[in-house]
Amino acid sequence: MTVATCLPAIGGVELELGAITRNWRNGAAKLQQLAQPNLAFFPRTLTPMLETLAMAVVGAVTAAILSIPVTLWAARASNPSALGRQAVRFVVNVVRAVPDLVYATILVAMIGVGTLPGVVTLILFDIGVVVKLVSEAIDSADHPYIEAGRAAGGTQSQINRRTVLPQSWPFFANQWLYSLELNVRISAILGIVGAGGIGRLLDERRAFYTYEDVSLIILEILVVVVLIELLSQQARRRLR
Amino acid sequence: MSAGSPSPSQLAADASPPSTGPAPVLPPTPSRAGPTVAAVLLGAVVLVSVAGLDIAWGSLGEIPVRVVTYLELLFSAPNWEKLPRALFETWRSVSMAWLGAIGCVALSIPLGILAARGVGPAWLRTLLRGAFAVIRAVPEVVIALILLTVTGLTPFTGALALGIAGIGTHGKWVYETIESVQEGASEAVRASGGTTAEVARWALWPAAAPALMSFALYRFEINIRTSAVLGLIGAGGIGTMLSNYTNYREWDTVGMLLIVVVVITMLIDLVSGGIRRRIMEGARARGVDRTS
Repeated sequence: MTVATCLPAIGGVELELGAITRNWRNGAAKLQQLAQPNLAFFPRTLTPMLETLAMAVVGAVTAAILSIPVTLWAARASNPSALGRQAVRFVVNVVRAVPDLVYATILVAMIGVGTLPGVVTLILFDIGVVVKLVSEAIDSADHPYIEAGRAAGGTQSQINRRTVLPQSWPFFANQWLYSLELNVRISAILGIVGAGGIGRLLDERRAFYTYEDVSLIILEILVVVVLIELLSQQARRRLR
Repeated sequence: MSAGSPSPSQLAADASPPSTGPAPVLPPTPSRAGPTVAAVLLGAVVLVSVAGLDIAWGSLGEIPVRVVTYLELLFSAPNWEKLPRALFETWRSVSMAWLGAIGCVALSIPLGILAARGVGPAWLRTLLRGAFAVIRAVPEVVIALILLTVTGLTPFTGALALGIAGIGTHGKWVYETIESVQEGASEAVRASGGTTAEVARWALWPAAAPALMSFALYRFEINIRTSAVLGLIGAGGIGTMLSNYTNYREWDTVGMLLIVVVVITMLIDLVSGGIRRRIMEGARARGVDRTS
């Protein structure tokens, strides 16, 4: 398989090790430029960065709200109908199979340039992640309460509301936080295809070959991502 | 699970014996100030975020109609004429993903083992973990943009970018796996005079290999998705074709490409997931009832 993937004739990847020896200076020069971030550019990055964060939050919250019913629909414990369950799972798998930037590209073409296609992309992506992981977690957990609820004559929706949901909050909260982290990462690059946020600035600066500015933006993304990760780790520890 | 158990106040109420003497004093209700403040703050952040987004809320109503129109354009009559070309490009994306996964795994297994507690020296561990964290924070697309200047707009760039970008997460998985391995075997090797390399080969590797192989396949699955993303910036493969036809507004072809992407991704997930399950759980015993 490895050999087959290296044959350019059938569409494989041509390994051009020669290009590396010839052009490594270009890359080294780029890295050198990147090593000197242009701090004077900082004020101009603030607004897009806040926009990126706002996109990430709105995307994560909307996806969180939407993910509750869909997840309950997709889990065996909360939805006894196999047909409905399989249908929802199939749709979610299809949604998950499309990469994030591909959504963004098509949505930008559909809705127009701006933050809205970015937010919609994040929502679709998050729902895919949350529904898959949480419904699997619900399936693999034990459910004595559900049987109690059924024995007491509750309807399925009463059982879901009173037993499945309270039992699954930690799973949900964990995945929501995780999706927020992912969102910050993704929304940083969504702008490259025109979906708003700091990625747009990144792409613009790169097109001007001002790599000092690009490096500042990358640094900022790095700091923000690490901060969000620390925050969500704290929140997770609290939730336990 | 803490969420399912009854709250402390309920427990206190249940535990109190039927009162005969003076009425028992109920314990004070625990303060809800912290959670309330947190909830209000969270709400404020969400509201500010919504307000901060530059979205024309008025035109939100027409969007469903527009999406339906476009979905019709995309999928009512997909253009199957370009299918051979699409499959060719898909193979190129898969190749990119496979080579990227191999490069990433080959680099991150030794680095990850060195970064595990109890293997390498402390300074090396800190250094490697720092490097993993930095690579994790830089998006693949940005790594690809830097590599472009060296190897040009080729699938090779894509494979390299996937290989390098993957090290961040993969290295982390590797050292976490190695650290979760039981220490007995490595102590035994060390006690019989083994070097660090021998400990890694004869104690850690046999114990961690199934998990690491499973992670390697998972890396390939992730790369399949990312390689399409790298194609969008011009690294070749199905992503490039998709972005080109979106720019030409040839929706029937875009629809066909989307179907191809989804089907191929799901197929690869299915196969690779099956292999992973086989690696982690072993072969299903034939003729033996394992359900109990």
